[in-house]
Amino acid sequence: MTNGLDYPFLFKTFFVALSGVPIALLVTIVALLFALPTGFAFALSSLNNVPFIKQFVRLYISFVRGTPVIVQIFVVYSSVPLLLDIFFTTNNINVNVYDVHPIWYAFIIFAFNTTAILIEVFRSALSAVDRSQIEAAYAVGLNSVQAYRRIVIPQALIVAMPNLCTATINLVKATSLGYAISLHEITLKAKVAANVNYNYVEAYIDIFIVYLILCMVIEFLFRQYEKKLSKYKMQPSAA
Amino acid sequence: MEKYFDLSYLWGAIPALLPFLKVTFTFVFWSVLFGTLLGLLLTWMKIQPKNWIKKIAEGYTTVLRCTPSIVLLFLVYYGIPYIFMTFGVNIHHIEKIIFVIIAFTLQFAAIISEVFRSSYDALDKGQIEAGLSVGMTPFQVFRRIIFPQAFLIALPNFGNSFVLLLHEGAIAYTIGLIDVVGKAELIIADNFNTHALEIFLALAFIYWILSLCIEKVFQWLEKIFRKGHIV
Repeated sequence: MTNGLDYPFLFKTFFVALSGVPIALLVTIVALLFALPTGFAFALSSLNNVPFIKQFVRLYISFVRGTPVIVQIFVVYSSVPLLLDIFFTTNNINVNVYDVHPIWYAFIIFAFNTTAILIEVFRSALSAVDRSQIEAAYAVGLNSVQAYRRIVIPQALIVAMPNLCTATINLVKATSLGYAISLHEITLKAKVAANVNYNYVEAYIDIFIVYLILCMVIEFLFRQYEKKLSKYKMQPSAA
Repeated sequence: MEKYFDLSYLWGAIPALLPFLKVTFTFVFWSVLFGTLLGLLLTWMKIQPKNWIKKIAEGYTTVLRCTPSIVLLFLVYYGIPYIFMTFGVNIHHIEKIIFVIIAFTLQFAAIISEVFRSSYDALDKGQIEAGLSVGMTPFQVFRRIIFPQAFLIALPNFGNSFVLLLHEGAIAYTIGLIDVVGKAELIIADNFNTHALEIFLALAFIYWILSLCIEKVFQWLEKIFRKGHIV
């Protein structure tokens, strides 16, 4: 064991860890881009009691919320390659499954996971908007799309904002589990750098700082956006 | 040719995995217990009027909320022996589960202190004054008026946090603890890395059922404690 922290290493590895940020952010953004519309569509369908979708959504959310993310990663990472292999061979596509970049699996896993979380977020946000407002919108001649686009969504969005922020931060944190599928994001990069001299304490301090900065920036951005949206804020009804 | 997917592995894995839930339960139980105590302290710090005590508790929560569990776990696992080393104490021989409990206690305290604080915030503070004005001591006010109400408000979120901790705890295998996930990894290694999917599905089912059970227990508890409360 070394005496004292290895400060030059601490400094150098900080930038190694920082270089993993784009991958972590890429996974986060792709997952969110997939999950936002899908989650919204599922939330809307299940709120409107669309048969089968409602039951499917219930099962899906229950599974995602009932199992650890790491176990979901394990399941997807051991099942998707099998399915892909069958798909490739039956369609005569000459691609080896083992050459598929792990980031594709990361996209699948985190999109799968985040969609379930966002369904819940949107469902609670949409039901926070009073039902009678939609009826009022219909009464003045708006169609469904207009009613949602102009009346419901602006109000629901502001209700959903804090939960969306939490979901995003949880997603960024969850990308740290990408090491399990050898995705070279923040954690794995710093850990590999530490393997040379067993400087794990320094490496994890660096990773810790990087995530701290990342999450605080995200929280700050969300707060700014929320401020911008707050003009749509529902007025508390006079009691 | 061997089958890709063989259900018999899935059924075979479940009895092999279940005994190792004991390890998972052990560290989840102690983490929740110590985490709740630390969380109560943090809540008390947060409801102070604006001063540095409050700032510390809020800062702690923010930092812990921004740290992925795996980073926290490894910081504890490598950091604590390191700190002890600088004082010349070697604690490398202590059991891994201790580090897991420490890491998740720290995390659970941050999560649960927010739950407690929001349930405290939800209460009408005029009740405290009313309690004091009829001659109760501050402790009596807390014990007889604040706690019973805050407890009930906090209960569903406490259940959620409990399940969350169980899930975060799944990464404890990374430091070499043989809990239910660690055992799954061992089984797969014994099978020469084949049939991983079946074993992982078994693992997923165990966690799923467990989470549903915990949820039910908390719903049941809520029903019991809601008796006699005016809603």
